[in-house]
Amino acid sequence: MTLIAHAIAAAPRASLSHRGLRGRPLSWSEIGGLGLWSTEWDPDVKLERPDALEHHQLVERICAAQPCLPVRFGTAFATSDAALESLDKRAAALRAALTRVAGKSELALTLLWHEVPAPAAPEATGGPGRRYMEQRRADYGAREGRRARAESMVEELIAQLAIERPLIWHETCTSASVAVSFAALVPTEQALERKAQLEGIAARFSDVLPVVNGPWPPYTFARIE
Amino acid sequence: MRELNPEETSLLELVDRLLNKGVVLAGEATISVAGVDLIYLGLNLVLGAVETFEKAQERRAS
Repeated sequence: MTLIAHAIAAAPRASLSHRGLRGRPLSWSEIGGLGLWSTEWDPDVKLERPDALEHHQLVERICAAQPCLPVRFGTAFATSDAALESLDKRAAALRAALTRVAGKSELALTLLWHEVPAPAAPEATGGPGRRYMEQRRADYGAREGRRARAESMVEELIAQLAIERPLIWHETCTSASVAVSFAALVPTEQALERKAQLEGIAARFSDVLPVVNGPWPPYTFARIE
Repeated sequence: MRELNPEETSLLELVDRLLNKGVVLAGEATISVAGVDLIYLGLNLVLGAVETFEKAQERRAS
């Protein structure tokens, strides 16, 4: 019997229904004051697309019941002992991460460029080598301009939200469409209010379309060193 | 290349979190569980959902 891991929490376990992925038993394994929520799984059964979203729903349910660290989807253990050994090895880091996310939820914001501009056409003077170099310079300049604009939007978001940097994560210009991918860890009881604030700030950026998601479990802030 | 719409973006953000964020307890097991290629799973999840959204939009339009 394999275990598909969902989330880590501090003991004692919260009272939850015993329904895990696809209705299989949800189990709690505990060691040294830490516990792992997982689904008892038949190793011959493959995980499929809907299982990823059901894992997300399970993590949401666990995090609503007690502070928890989401485990990356697809993590499996051959036995409960193997899972507990893994937890025990990282106990100090897991406890620190649990303290960091307790009572908090994640908000996600993606800023999509309204238009993805075509590369600027260089002047049709000089030979092919010169035109090639001019084109490269124009492309580089456009890319750097976009990155600078994306970074300035991130700085404005952080300033307007008045939130500490360790509670923020972001990436800029990860694809042609995406200007900013941003996450903030906020107190759960203020999450909807902070979400409205985030939507309001982002709506003022005229060159991007904002997409706000969450509150959801603190996926981005659950990493341990 | 088609531009992302807000629904696709939301799903991509969620899939990114499920597959790339969260606590890593057993590095190699994450990829090899039950023989599933999770990167492939991620793309399929997104593409499958996009297809569903597009069908829903077609139904609304007709």
